[in-house]
Amino acid sequence: MKKFLLILLVLAIMAPVQAAWAATPQKGGNLIISVGDEPPGLDPTASASAAIDRVVYSNIMEGLIKVDRDGRFVPGLATKWDVSPDGKVYTFQLRKGVSFHNGEAFNAAVAKWNLERAVAQDSKNAHPEFFRVIEKIETPDDYTLKLTLKDVDALFIVHMAEGDAVMLPMKGYENMAAEPIGTGPFKFARWTRGDSVEMVRNDKYWNPKLPYLDKVTYRFIKDPSAQVAALKAGDIDIIGWLLAPELAPAIEKDKRFKVLAGASTSEVIMSTNNKAKPFDNKLVRQAIAYAIDRDAVSELVISGYGTKIGSHWPPVTPYYKDMTGLFPYDPEKAKKLLAQAGYPNGFEATIKLPVIYPYAGRAGEVIADMLGQVGIKLNIEIVEWGVWLDRVFKQKDFQLSMIGHAEAWDIGIYANPNYYFQYDSQEFRDAYAMALKAPNEAEKAKWFGRCQEIVAEDAVNGFLFLSPALSAMKVELMDWWENYPTIAMDCSQVWWKK
Amino acid sequence: MLRYFAKKLITLVVLLFLVSITVFSVLFVLPGDPSQIILGINATPEALANLRAELGLDQSFLSQYTDWIADLLLGRSQQSIHYKMPVYELILDSLAVTGPMALIAMLFALVISLPLGIYAARHQNQTGDVTVMFGTQLGLATPEFWFGILLTLLFSVELGWFSAGGFPGWGKDFWGSIKALLLPAFALGVIRASILTRLTRSSMLEVLREDYVRTARAKGLRERTVVYVHALRNALVPILTIMGLQLGQLLAGAIIIENVFFLPGMGRLVFNAIGQRDLPVVRDIVLFMAAAVVVVNFIVDMAYASIDPRIRIK
Repeated sequence: MKKFLLILLVLAIMAPVQAAWAATPQKGGNLIISVGDEPPGLDPTASASAAIDRVVYSNIMEGLIKVDRDGRFVPGLATKWDVSPDGKVYTFQLRKGVSFHNGEAFNAAVAKWNLERAVAQDSKNAHPEFFRVIEKIETPDDYTLKLTLKDVDALFIVHMAEGDAVMLPMKGYENMAAEPIGTGPFKFARWTRGDSVEMVRNDKYWNPKLPYLDKVTYRFIKDPSAQVAALKAGDIDIIGWLLAPELAPAIEKDKRFKVLAGASTSEVIMSTNNKAKPFDNKLVRQAIAYAIDRDAVSELVISGYGTKIGSHWPPVTPYYKDMTGLFPYDPEKAKKLLAQAGYPNGFEATIKLPVIYPYAGRAGEVIADMLGQVGIKLNIEIVEWGVWLDRVFKQKDFQLSMIGHAEAWDIGIYANPNYYFQYDSQEFRDAYAMALKAPNEAEKAKWFGRCQEIVAEDAVNGFLFLSPALSAMKVELMDWWENYPTIAMDCSQVWWKK
Repeated sequence: MLRYFAKKLITLVVLLFLVSITVFSVLFVLPGDPSQIILGINATPEALANLRAELGLDQSFLSQYTDWIADLLLGRSQQSIHYKMPVYELILDSLAVTGPMALIAMLFALVISLPLGIYAARHQNQTGDVTVMFGTQLGLATPEFWFGILLTLLFSVELGWFSAGGFPGWGKDFWGSIKALLLPAFALGVIRASILTRLTRSSMLEVLREDYVRTARAKGLRERTVVYVHALRNALVPILTIMGLQLGQLLAGAIIIENVFFLPGMGRLVFNAIGQRDLPVVRDIVLFMAAAVVVVNFIVDMAYASIDPRIRIK
């Protein structure tokens, strides 16, 4: 009996060890990822295109700060950072012994040069305004970077953790779009135009344990059924961005593959022109909010994989406030509000749907049907992407449209009355200004929360769902990111179970 | 002969000039700003203006057009906005996929259509003929992208004989590259074969009724010689004409089939370039395709003479 207990005890001690051992990442192997869009160049600082960040960011190039799987800000090329009590001075301690893939050393001087380049008058950065808040850049020593801001900016850290703030080497930076050089876990190897981007393990990566994979290939396959055929035929290992929701259930049934349905930061909204009649009337917008059955939309458009939203804020981002209960599905109430607004018999309107996004087309049809039931007749107009950018986005020549806003922390677009949906609210602008100037976490939560409330109550746009971060992969592939809290596909900790 | 050649050359130049003006104007008035597409919807006006200036999009219509034509005449290649490399390199790389694919597709089409067409003509209105004609009807009614998807489902997903798409590259894996082109070329070729089979049949039927064929038979020649040497040669003239025209269609078909098989070919290149408003790429490829169609038809014209001595080029 004693012996038996002893064995039991030994087993009990061993068990967690075994479990931990089984989950220890193994080195080696190649990974082929399919993504839908080929990036327009490979320099994340030169373009805001999400397709670039999905290939390059965190793999080839890194910034001072990273976003981890839970959406938290964690050290990247900076080991730590302090913010002065007044919120205006950021002091970054830079990582030592980091070098670029071309051998150049990374230090405070390089970081300074990168930020100066971003704020310069002829800046080639896609978002110079992110960094223009910097007043002074100092380098007290080789590994300390001190930034003094003109004003408190709650989003400064957010922007420092985005692809726009990656660190480029001072030599050869002009050619980054074709041959990117960074400090990341993978080195750029080849870009076969129209086909793939290949990158190989960086043996001199500052974290000697990473990465696990020897080689990563991004393959550009636009057609959703071609992606699935390629996965099943073994030509690719994972559909990273983005598995078509309608194809996911069938893959889930296949034992060779697994599907991860996490959250992204892309809010799909029925964008509403707040200056176009009759949508300039708040009652009409609220009536529409009541007329939309979000559960049915999510079920029909994305096979139920998405998260419902009630405002312009992803649940994976800090300071989220749940506003989904504000306008429950209630067609009768919608009709009443329409009558109150002066449209007892409804009206006719046009919705312009960008053809490149399949979800937009489907959501448009579903919503046209729902609005039809309360007397609003929607005419559907399908437009090509370039035309959408010109007519809808630039000239604001639309009533309704449908689009996913991919960036996190982008609620500031509601503070700009010239933005394409033309929302003009002093109350919101004040709240947003308060949020940006908030000195501490409690104040930030309060004012960013208030911002979410205001746009929800005003029913500025039709808030529908958060695009699911659907990925499908071979079951042996481990530690792929389930949620995409930032626009990146970080492969540094992904590994193959042999 | 020389005059004929010179005439064709002048036609080619005039045509390319007209194509260049048309494609340039259409792209110029087409809504959609390349810099907006590159920078995304949250770009600031400042960033947009900087990029527009860098790409030369702030210049006038005339100056942009003359820049382009001057570059073409001097043999300088413009840069692709999207890919940041010279357009001619992109065209050469993608042609290395689409060109062989189109050739293999034509080969499939010929290998299928000639024997079937001749067989059907020789057995006019018999069961074999009716079956072949029914098959071609089916082929004509089948969209090639759908046929392509069926092929991948069977040969790649179920049987695992071929990869579902992609292209390894000639230098890296020659036979793998050939293999990668077989399914898409077959999808393209079978649809073309349907048209060619019907054409071969009717053309053969016509020729087989001609006097010289009767003479040949009366001389006591073997039936095989009559059909394959005397009749087929003359029947080939209309077939060749249609094949020349089909090349243009093949390039158009490549756009769809290359998307199904995710091949880095010219069809997908121009398709994506239009979506991304990569104007230098679209302009040069359209011009290149127009030139290719004209040149192929010129070659077909020359081939008539060698097939049928009665046609002499004056």
